[in-house]
Amino acid sequence: MKPIAVLIIAMALLAGIVPHFTDCQSQGKAIELPNGKTLPMKCHWTTQAELTLAVPLALCGVFLGFRPANERRSELAMLTIVLGSFIALVPTVLIGVCAKSDMLCSAVMRPTLLVSGILAAGAGLFYLILDFRQGGSKP
Amino acid sequence: MNLARLIVRNTARNGYRSGIIFCCSLLLAAMPFGITFLTEGGRAGLHSAMDRLGADLLVVPENLAVKVETALLTGKPFPVWMARENLNKVARVPGVAQVSPQLYLATLSGASCCSASEMFIMAYDPATDFTLRPWLAQNLGRDLATNEVLGGSQIYPSDLQGNLLVYGTQLHLKGNLAHSGTGLDRTLFMTFETAREVARMSATRAMQKLTIPANEISAVLVKLEPGADPWSVANYIEHENSDILAIQSPQMVQSTRKEFTGLMRIIVLVVVLVWLLSIAVAGLVFSLAAHERRRELGVLRALGSSRGFVLRLLLGEAVILALTGAASGIALCLAIAYWFHDAIVYFLNIPFLFPPPAVLFTLILGGVLIATLSVMTAAFFPIWRASRMEPAQAMRE
Repeated sequence: MKPIAVLIIAMALLAGIVPHFTDCQSQGKAIELPNGKTLPMKCHWTTQAELTLAVPLALCGVFLGFRPANERRSELAMLTIVLGSFIALVPTVLIGVCAKSDMLCSAVMRPTLLVSGILAAGAGLFYLILDFRQGGSKP
Repeated sequence: MNLARLIVRNTARNGYRSGIIFCCSLLLAAMPFGITFLTEGGRAGLHSAMDRLGADLLVVPENLAVKVETALLTGKPFPVWMARENLNKVARVPGVAQVSPQLYLATLSGASCCSASEMFIMAYDPATDFTLRPWLAQNLGRDLATNEVLGGSQIYPSDLQGNLLVYGTQLHLKGNLAHSGTGLDRTLFMTFETAREVARMSATRAMQKLTIPANEISAVLVKLEPGADPWSVANYIEHENSDILAIQSPQMVQSTRKEFTGLMRIIVLVVVLVWLLSIAVAGLVFSLAAHERRRELGVLRALGSSRGFVLRLLLGEAVILALTGAASGIALCLAIAYWFHDAIVYFLNIPFLFPPPAVLFTLILGGVLIATLSVMTAAFFPIWRASRMEPAQAMRE
């Protein structure tokens, strides 16, 4: 099942890297306050949050690729589902991105994170179903 | 074991071979479907832009016509100014029934005094407007009051009371227009009075003052008398006034359409090449598979299976893989279009709308048919040759 582990790692890389090039900060945009200071837009905080989710997700993918024992695999699969779900929820519900659909963070970052989160969670679910069907026997 | 079960088991048994055919079929369906879907979506968006404007002619400064077109299609604001006296000049042209001025403004970029960055603002004159007033009469029952605004489908209020902050002034969002797939979805509509009030207050409330030049407007919307020829009227306007351009509604998006067509030609060329390559790979894989399975097919023949049975078996495998591949390819295209339609608009700089259901259904059916027929064409000759092989010869080789 190495291709599925590779898919999880690829999704983690997407979630960790793409936001850094598609948030408003990377395009030189920020909220300017009356006192002249600038404040990052919320897509920037989404980018930071995604990085903290992408690193453990990538590790889950790496460990799952090493064919762990079934018990460990189930735990990793559940963690993958949770991380994948949060990767999809951060840009849509928990933090969000800029509202204007013609901004790069809204046009590219949000759908990319949504798709990568859903695919990662789906891959975790696949491992979980696989374990369930194998009935907890050692590989 | 009946034929259908044998087909399914044969397909599942050799995952690698089936996977390659599946991928070829996926490409064969996704490529033509994707390109046609994109073209139809772009066309629907361009038509929508023309319909939403609701004017027969749009009069703009001569050298800024393309910029205005881009602003209307993509919602990227651009300052356009011309003398207000052009309004009266256009109104006097024979064939013109109604004229209405517009101001094109924009919110500041990333400023805390504006709740949306670089938002396109279109100010209209309620006394002469004929594009928004029908909508307002139907949905609001009255005109917009001062500090009330109307938004495109993608304009959202910044607080729970439905307010928007524009140049430090709270404006109340009274409603949203239907989705058009164009820049008008990201446009804020307000009356001249509201625009001037915002400009006046911006001096003290905004980070940068909004300036509306006195006696200047951005564009003139023109409604023609019934039976008037748009081309003749547009020519007359341009002939009488050298510094303005009258764009006819069907030509409103001409330059975008040209760019879009040019881009599509390149994409179509790439798609055709990939398509031909996919057919060649599918044919090659079927040819290799038929050669690899000659003993198996020889045994089947020796056990009493007819040539027709072997032919149906191999064609059945090809059909299953072609259909599943095509369905997956089309589903993938639709998923990409659904999730990434804003990215398509962002990168291709065109408006995009999902084609109407009837067109979409025809495209899906066409995509599945093209992929299935292409795989069958590629597979038929190797399959036919394998089915014609004598059992003894097949098992001996």
